[in-house]
Amino acid sequence: MGRRGIRFRKDHISDLPQSIIETILTKMPLRDAVKTSILSSKWRYKWATLTRLKFDDKCVSGTRDRSLAKNNLVNFINRFLFLHDSPINGFALSTTYLRSSPNIDQWLLFLSRKDVKELVLEFKNKLFIRAPSCLYSCQKLVRLKIVNWELPPPLSFKGFPFLKHLILQQVSIAPDAIQTLISGCPLLESLNLLSNDVLELTIRAPNLKDLILEGNFKELSLENTAKLVAICVNLYMNNIIVQHFDQSSSCNFDKFLGGALSLERFIGRYYFTLYMSIGNTFGKTQMKYQQLKVIELYDVSFKNIKEVMVVLRLILNSPNLQELQISGAWVSSTATEAPALDFWEKECPSDSTFERLKMVKMTHMHGIPLEIRLIGFLLESSPVLKTMSITPRVYMSTKDRSSFLIELLRFKRASTEAEIIFVKDEMFYELRANGQF
Amino acid sequence: MLVVLLSESGRFGNLSFIRHMAIVKPEMKSFIWLETPDGSTQQVEEEVAMFCPMICREVLQTGMGSSKNYAIKLPQRVTTPVLGLILDYCRFHQVQGRSNKERKSFDEKLIRLDTKKLCELTSGADSLQLRPLVDLTSRALARMIEGKTPEEIRHTFHLPDDLTEEEKLEPLRIRTNDPRIRLLNRLYARKRKELKIREKAKCMLENVEVEEEHERERVDDRSVDDLLLFINSGDEKDSKGVKTSASGAPKNKKKNRRRKDHPKGLHIIENGNHKKETDSLCSSASSPSKISKLLESDSPTAIMHSSDFDFDDELDPAMKEQLDREVEDFARRLNSVWPKRVSGTGMGSLGHDRRIAFAPLSRTS
Repeated sequence: MGRRGIRFRKDHISDLPQSIIETILTKMPLRDAVKTSILSSKWRYKWATLTRLKFDDKCVSGTRDRSLAKNNLVNFINRFLFLHDSPINGFALSTTYLRSSPNIDQWLLFLSRKDVKELVLEFKNKLFIRAPSCLYSCQKLVRLKIVNWELPPPLSFKGFPFLKHLILQQVSIAPDAIQTLISGCPLLESLNLLSNDVLELTIRAPNLKDLILEGNFKELSLENTAKLVAICVNLYMNNIIVQHFDQSSSCNFDKFLGGALSLERFIGRYYFTLYMSIGNTFGKTQMKYQQLKVIELYDVSFKNIKEVMVVLRLILNSPNLQELQISGAWVSSTATEAPALDFWEKECPSDSTFERLKMVKMTHMHGIPLEIRLIGFLLESSPVLKTMSITPRVYMSTKDRSSFLIELLRFKRASTEAEIIFVKDEMFYELRANGQF
Repeated sequence: MLVVLLSESGRFGNLSFIRHMAIVKPEMKSFIWLETPDGSTQQVEEEVAMFCPMICREVLQTGMGSSKNYAIKLPQRVTTPVLGLILDYCRFHQVQGRSNKERKSFDEKLIRLDTKKLCELTSGADSLQLRPLVDLTSRALARMIEGKTPEEIRHTFHLPDDLTEEEKLEPLRIRTNDPRIRLLNRLYARKRKELKIREKAKCMLENVEVEEEHERERVDDRSVDDLLLFINSGDEKDSKGVKTSASGAPKNKKKNRRRKDHPKGLHIIENGNHKKETDSLCSSASSPSKISKLLESDSPTAIMHSSDFDFDDELDPAMKEQLDREVEDFARRLNSVWPKRVSGTGMGSLGHDRRIAFAPLSRTS
């Protein structure tokens, strides 16, 4: 039966159990996995029982001719699916060659009949192509990730009953469509939405634990999200939103964080604090976030008292806070106009303590009064603080830095172990973070 | 507690449980006894052994492992050297304070083994359900396969090169997993090779025409269905057969030769007899009327000539006959219920015999 070579060299790998072979074959590109079929008779059909398929542009040899590459990829996937011989649990397709293709519709139809559970579709082109309706008939989906598509769900679409993880990036979808999609997935546990359109979004997801939102949102509110554990919001701004903010009257803070009482991690970037400051009031009855351990707020404009009040409200209502990271937004002039600091004594009870706060990191500091006040407040109220790390803005002159330091030295420290680390010379880090270069 | 321990990422969980267990023996370091399949036992520090989910579960559910007599029996695939490697891994990784870099470099060193040991380590880790180690070794094995030519891979893993040439050329054509049918195909292909060699030898002596024919011969990669149809088709007098045989007639001058030899083949199939009988049959079947009768119902030839089936239709008759014999041989093997009345009967009525001969096969196929 063919060449045996030296008889006593035993073949150990072919008789490993199928689960291990599958693990091995999934750790290499799909093309190489299929190539193993000509190794020996035992390996002939080992590739055909893979349950997680990942197709990408590496499946076909690179050519400069795009239509040829597209045809090759389509043929490869077609032949593969025909010759494949086992249930398909996961299907991932990530390509720059295909935009819209009747083939994609057929593959989705095929997959929906095979009860696929995980679906990843990434199209790296800029154009938006409509998703076929077969996508919505994959009713057993547990994990769905779509990048760069247009999703018009059909009217009768009720949602994916088993969906737990949903990632939609750069998708074009109507606001009410996304809301019905989210509410139609009762088991949804994590949602990652990066949207290009201006949206008003109300999220109703009783099992949601993880939320990542990015985009231009006019209105964001969370209803019925009692289990939410981690939130990360990147809020961008444009003229429409600015106008909307001017006219808005409701309290965004309550609408957004009002229901998320089990929150443990919170990250807000870009204009999020500005958004939260709209309509914010320091009322008497406020919700306490007992589980909140980590807060990271970026681009907080310390010139805007309202934004600072948002920060205060958040940290004062988190008695178990452990880590705090605040980064200041760019402020055009550090000329000190005496801000109304009297609100501080009014709103912050003088006996407030952060019992668990261990680490504070303040970056992009300008040395303006509100920043200094906040840092001082934190130093005075954190009995177990270990590190307070302060990074000033790169273009701070030496004179400004020294006056900053002098102000900081004045503060009483509640914690005997507190280290104040003044970080200098982080120029490149800062420039990169700013995105200015 | 139990749930945390049984999870794969239970490093913290393991330790907290061990602290719990340590209440029982506050100052002593506890050991767990493990027994490898070859019978030897060894004791291992508790926190190291508990890093493996399977051992952990055994300890919790059955309480074994506390003494030499009650050592936990490890699965078949975890031999002593494999256990040593696995315990090294556990011992290193269960310590909390190591950095990612340290862990990575340790892992890299660990997998510098030859393929035999790597495979054994993978299967041992799998039977102990130590998922991180399975992933690590699988990735190492995948790296050895990825991007290499088949020759290199076969050399690395000592794989036998036992696919036939046409299986390699069209590796994904024949879609069936049944080992018997694969055996059939393989032996079929081998037979064809041998006959090819024999033909070539014959060619030297015979005329040019045969050589031409031989050169035109192509790969026969009929699917199993076609083969079974071929076997079964003895009594099918469908129009297709008639039509194509008629169209096949003017094809080649050498048809005469084929027709003469073909009855031989047919009779073999239908009767399951030795060559002796067929020889006698052949001589008696030389009359044209019989030949035409045979041809009419000669669906195997028809099928072989039909263009519906995408295979070679210009096989040399001698080879065809050999192949028929081979196929019949395996048809018999596939179908264990070969009726005894078939063997030893004379020609009788062709149709009847054929029906008897093929009935069991068609039932099972």
